[in-house]
Amino acid sequence: MRGAHIACCDRCTSLTGSSRGTAASDPDDVLAGSTASATMVARRRLLKAAVFRPQAEAGPAGHGADAAGLAPDETGSPSVGFANVFHLPRTVWGTILDVSPHVLILGEGGREQRFALTPEAVAWCGALLEPAALLQGDRAIVRLHPFGRNVADRIWANIGRVTGVITERSGNQLLVDEGATRETQVITLQPRSLGRIQVRFPTLEPGYLVDIIGIRRRDELIGMIPATSQPAYPAQRLPAPPLVSGHVPGSITGSATWHEPREEPPGILGVSYPALDPETGCTEDLAGGIRQGYLRMPFLSIGSVLRIRNDCTGSSCLIPVTGCTPIGRLFNDRCVTCGTSPRGRVADLTLASFIALGGELERGCFNVTVTIGE
Amino acid sequence: MTMLHAIREVQIPLLAATLLGGCAAKVLQMMRAGSAGKHIGPTALFPLHLRRPVAIVLCVVEGGLGLGLLVTAFGFGEHDPADGIRLGSCLLFVVATCALIELRQSRPDVGCGCFGDFSTSPISGRTLARSALLAVAGLATVRLGPITWPGTAAGTFGLLAILGAEVLLIGVLSPEVGEGLIRLGYSEPCELRNVPAARTLAVLRRSKYWRRYAGLITSEVPEDVWRELCWRFVVYPARYQDRQTEVVFAVFLQHRRPVVHVALVDSSTGAPLDRPAGKQRSRWPGLAALLGPAQSLSPALNAAQARSAPADLPLSTDL
Repeated sequence: MRGAHIACCDRCTSLTGSSRGTAASDPDDVLAGSTASATMVARRRLLKAAVFRPQAEAGPAGHGADAAGLAPDETGSPSVGFANVFHLPRTVWGTILDVSPHVLILGEGGREQRFALTPEAVAWCGALLEPAALLQGDRAIVRLHPFGRNVADRIWANIGRVTGVITERSGNQLLVDEGATRETQVITLQPRSLGRIQVRFPTLEPGYLVDIIGIRRRDELIGMIPATSQPAYPAQRLPAPPLVSGHVPGSITGSATWHEPREEPPGILGVSYPALDPETGCTEDLAGGIRQGYLRMPFLSIGSVLRIRNDCTGSSCLIPVTGCTPIGRLFNDRCVTCGTSPRGRVADLTLASFIALGGELERGCFNVTVTIGE
Repeated sequence: MTMLHAIREVQIPLLAATLLGGCAAKVLQMMRAGSAGKHIGPTALFPLHLRRPVAIVLCVVEGGLGLGLLVTAFGFGEHDPADGIRLGSCLLFVVATCALIELRQSRPDVGCGCFGDFSTSPISGRTLARSALLAVAGLATVRLGPITWPGTAAGTFGLLAILGAEVLLIGVLSPEVGEGLIRLGYSEPCELRNVPAARTLAVLRRSKYWRRYAGLITSEVPEDVWRELCWRFVVYPARYQDRQTEVVFAVFLQHRRPVVHVALVDSSTGAPLDRPAGKQRSRWPGLAALLGPAQSLSPALNAAQARSAPADLPLSTDL
């Protein structure tokens, strides 16, 4: 951040690092890709602790750090409470070289890695299937068992997701705008999945929001399943956001989604937050994109830390804000993975974070409680 | 007039007001959106091309029934026409209740749209209960006959009491009322307030903490600025005792006399350093004089005073 005054943003080069593209089974590797982001997160956390620690005790009631909801951790360590890759499910990426009912071999860049499959292991490639049904050459995201370094219990092959505003429809193809800083995406709708998608996304017309999970094939996504439900309004006619009065609660319940890594290092543990401080906000805003979202959330910045709890599984950990979610904040939808979430999208997790918190990618979302100010 | 009869009579103006209110809110919504194409509520159950006509028909039916209830309330169109309209109102709310149940199952994120833009919160049990209650109210008016004014003051008072109680009940069952009250007394919390960074920096530079640390700061431009909730953090490079350091300010985002916290940290480690001694200006010199002898009794207090008294006053609203 040196020299970058008042300017940190979504998808800054300092946040994205270099794309590794390797099978990342080593936890150190997982974290290495996000070094720049991790450095900033740790530094801001350290400085926050320094500026509040000696003063919180002497502060008058109502003005201390605690009163503001900011709670520097007691030990002063910037890493306390963060997601521990040794205790949460880890994720590896790679191309399938070989797969049998018991063993999966992933490869990338000349490296090969072998994983044992648990008896309960299942795979997803447009539908749930036996891992042995996957094909050589499929791009796989593999969830490792928390207590087994080379044991896999879940595989997603060629999975992709497109979330954005439909700009054009041509036959069975949709052009989708994912924001000013991302390339336009193409979704191809197969007749066999169109009906299923239209149950949740009835209006596949330009101007309406869409969020579809499917099979990634070169530069297009073969739409398979609706990720959530379509808001009833066009993106340009967002309803007035509900007003919030009094103190904003420290914990906010809602829906957490995931997004494809694109420019991010695939293993980064982070979250895109819908309300970054406009002064230091995301490149979407700086590029003149859509500013107003539906949800009113407290302003935070890159490096702020959220405690995210998966209300469906009970897993929780601290995850730093690594970006903003310019499209996600347009959605006033609900997640119905385990009951109906009382609010729309409060967090857009990276793949690794979503899986670490027990999410199933093909479900698209899970209900969360986000605690701010950790 | 029996109590039951009075309760039945009250339902007619209540139903009429509800129907006309719903119709007016929908018209307002259409006028704001420029068309009837902004679909919320049960119209979301219909295919896209049918939503606009369905929304218009629903609006017209609501307005027509509301007016009809008022027109036929006092004898005009007794018996069959009046009962037809009242039965129609009952049927409308029965259908609406069923549609809301269906909508809640298939689109749990969609509001009921009963009062246009005001009804955007997802359909809850309260919304369903309100719709069912209005259906029962509609049924209660069938075969009632024309409304008659009570002849006595006690009768009028009783009628008004029943009306008030039912309005209160409907208010409790209406999520729109809570939202309306919030809008009336709205004051934006600081966590949601957009405060320009330039304003924060201007406020900071007027603070006594800025004046105290300004001599150490080596750049006009902050190294890092970020915000969390109601606090904005500003980091400046500094030099202290031949070491590269940083001065970190935390400024509470309020318009007047914001609280400021400050820390001097080592650039390389981020460890807090002892703050430079500052010139203390007591607000109460007389009190300081009185405390002077007492302080001299304690070597620890003396040491603290010699180091820097302002370090013990970490919170400042003295700008």
